[in-house]
Amino acid sequence: MSSLSTLLKAPGALIECDDDPEAVLEYMCERGWSDGLPVIPPTPERVERMLTFCDRDFDKPVIKVPPRFGAATPIRVAANAVMAGCKPEYFPLVLLALEAMAEEQYNLYGTQATTHPCTPMLIFNGPVAKEVGLNSGHNVMGNYFRANAAIGRAVRLSLVNIGAAIPGTGDMATAGTPAKFSFCVAENEENSPWDPLHVELGFPRESSTVTVVAAESPHNVNDHESITPEGILTMVAGTMPNTGSNNAYYEGQPVMAFGPEHAQTIASAGMTKSQVKQWLFDNATIALSKFSKEGIERRFRRKLAQQFANAPLDTLVHMWAKPEDLIIIVTGGAGKHSQWIPTFGNTRAATRVLKREDGELVRSINDLKRG
Amino acid sequence: MGKVFLVAPDAPIEAVEHLKSNRQIQGRGIRLGVLDNSKANADYLLNLIVEGVKKEFQVDSVVIKRKPTSSRPATDEVLDDLAKEADLVVSAMAD
Repeated sequence: MSSLSTLLKAPGALIECDDDPEAVLEYMCERGWSDGLPVIPPTPERVERMLTFCDRDFDKPVIKVPPRFGAATPIRVAANAVMAGCKPEYFPLVLLALEAMAEEQYNLYGTQATTHPCTPMLIFNGPVAKEVGLNSGHNVMGNYFRANAAIGRAVRLSLVNIGAAIPGTGDMATAGTPAKFSFCVAENEENSPWDPLHVELGFPRESSTVTVVAAESPHNVNDHESITPEGILTMVAGTMPNTGSNNAYYEGQPVMAFGPEHAQTIASAGMTKSQVKQWLFDNATIALSKFSKEGIERRFRRKLAQQFANAPLDTLVHMWAKPEDLIIIVTGGAGKHSQWIPTFGNTRAATRVLKREDGELVRSINDLKRG
Repeated sequence: MGKVFLVAPDAPIEAVEHLKSNRQIQGRGIRLGVLDNSKANADYLLNLIVEGVKKEFQVDSVVIKRKPTSSRPATDEVLDDLAKEADLVVSAMAD
């Protein structure tokens, strides 16, 4: 493995800038290497520290990021992680998320370049999430928590800087979403009445995973009144139907992120995740007549002709394609709120487990420490 | 003010010179390819472009391929067909 100092002798690997925080920010913004917020200057010394928990070759791409198809080497990703404010122990989770997005079903090219306001939602499960300090409690989708903010931001900066997801050229989002700054959560496994997502997907409980979802911003479901599973699910199912949702047309996997209190009430009568998915699939529907005449004709009658060519206007349109496609997690703190998160639609979630390069499961972030 | 070295956070564009073809279309008309991304108005826009090209240039043939969905790349089969049957391809979108 070449040393970092040798690799940084490659043409273009280093840039020179005035040694001043404001000058660095100006320079980064002028070059388009920014999300508009201040960054930590990615000096070689800081990048080297960021690679403390990286057991890969520093110059071997983990993914080529569209639309430019730039090679995301650990060095380049580490520079973005430094800029984002990551601690070195966060870095393997940034790489893991990028690797997950490389899986074909995620459709990174489409999600990067689309006019739709999607961004990677990172859902972390397992012991490493807790070890590095990822928040799964109060304000889990909001601000304040460094690991959530910096890991999500490092991924976004990598997508912009390495993949050239530049608004107006590589990222054609009409309006985008505030979640493009960072959208990174851990599941609140301790307060969930169900198996966490990674166990449901067949990964060992002691493993650590990321699931990436090309998500819209979350939409709140407030329900302080219901005290039965059916009551809460009725409120959730009433929030999901939406004529403007891509999930009504494509085979995407939207996310229902239950707050722990809602989840406990739903599970109190013994409802399993799979039963919840079926219930919501059956009840989160919207009549075909609620769509515009043009939408019915041009989208449903033509593009979805097999299902809707001759469907009467009172036909119920489901908000996603199959019951099992709904992703359920439990996250957040105390309170009677849950979050509904539609997606880009033409995308499937991808889950990757954290392993060392030799294939061994990572049980602690220290398993990846160099030297 | 002193200077500081920073690690570049971007990635260079890969060299694509070797992918360029050198097609000779002298002495005959253009074999025009069209890749429709399947968005609602893409076919209208592309037909207008084809008609415009025909007015300005000699067009011997037009081959039109359609992606099943706009948000996924064209398949290798579609791209191979276009490479075989067209001198140049117009790919456009229309929302």
